[in-house]
Amino acid sequence: MKSRFLFSHKYKPLGWFLFLTGMVLGIVFLIKGDDFLSMEVKVFTILKNGFLSSVSPSSHLMFNNIIDEIISLLIIVGSVLVAFSKTRDEDEYISKIRMESLIWATYVNYIVLIIAIIFVYDFDFLNVMIYNMFTILLFFMLRFHYLLYKSKRIISDEE
Amino acid sequence: MKNNIKVERAIHNITQAKLAEMICVSRQTVNAMELNKYVPSTVLALKISKIFKKPVNEIFFLDASD
Repeated sequence: MKSRFLFSHKYKPLGWFLFLTGMVLGIVFLIKGDDFLSMEVKVFTILKNGFLSSVSPSSHLMFNNIIDEIISLLIIVGSVLVAFSKTRDEDEYISKIRMESLIWATYVNYIVLIIAIIFVYDFDFLNVMIYNMFTILLFFMLRFHYLLYKSKRIISDEE
Repeated sequence: MKNNIKVERAIHNITQAKLAEMICVSRQTVNAMELNKYVPSTVLALKISKIFKKPVNEIFFLDASD
């Protein structure tokens, strides 16, 4: 069966590599703070009047430690590849599991976000927003791989 | 919907793995169909009927809930 919008299976290992690298760096970043690896680089910004930014109003250029940008991109690109690369034997039943997992992950993600909106305030909410950039894909990956594992285990139980 | 894929497999002496390979799906799919957890697409149903050389409605049946 042809499945639209999915990457070829060969991108899955690359996805895991990028994702796990990003997660490890991300955890080190959380523990040690953003000076654990300084990659101060001149960057171009399209949004330059943020209240915490250090950009002069006349310039679109600024200096930034790009380690957090790199970590975010590794996690996002990695998890998109892991989540949306075909499994080795992708077929219509696995596509159904995939779609149901995506719906499930969207619900769980927004239930968690709604709870956070109600119970987390002020600057702490920034943390919620940061985690929320990644959680929908994480919930999907967990749910999808758990269901695949479960359906494979039923088969081996039958033998 | 119910089906007798398992019975037909036994008659033709085909394992789940072999059937999965013949109709180009994963083993989970064959297993899920036999457990009535998954209703196959028409394409897949026609492929199965071709393998067992029987009309589709002798392999798949509507049940009370359909």
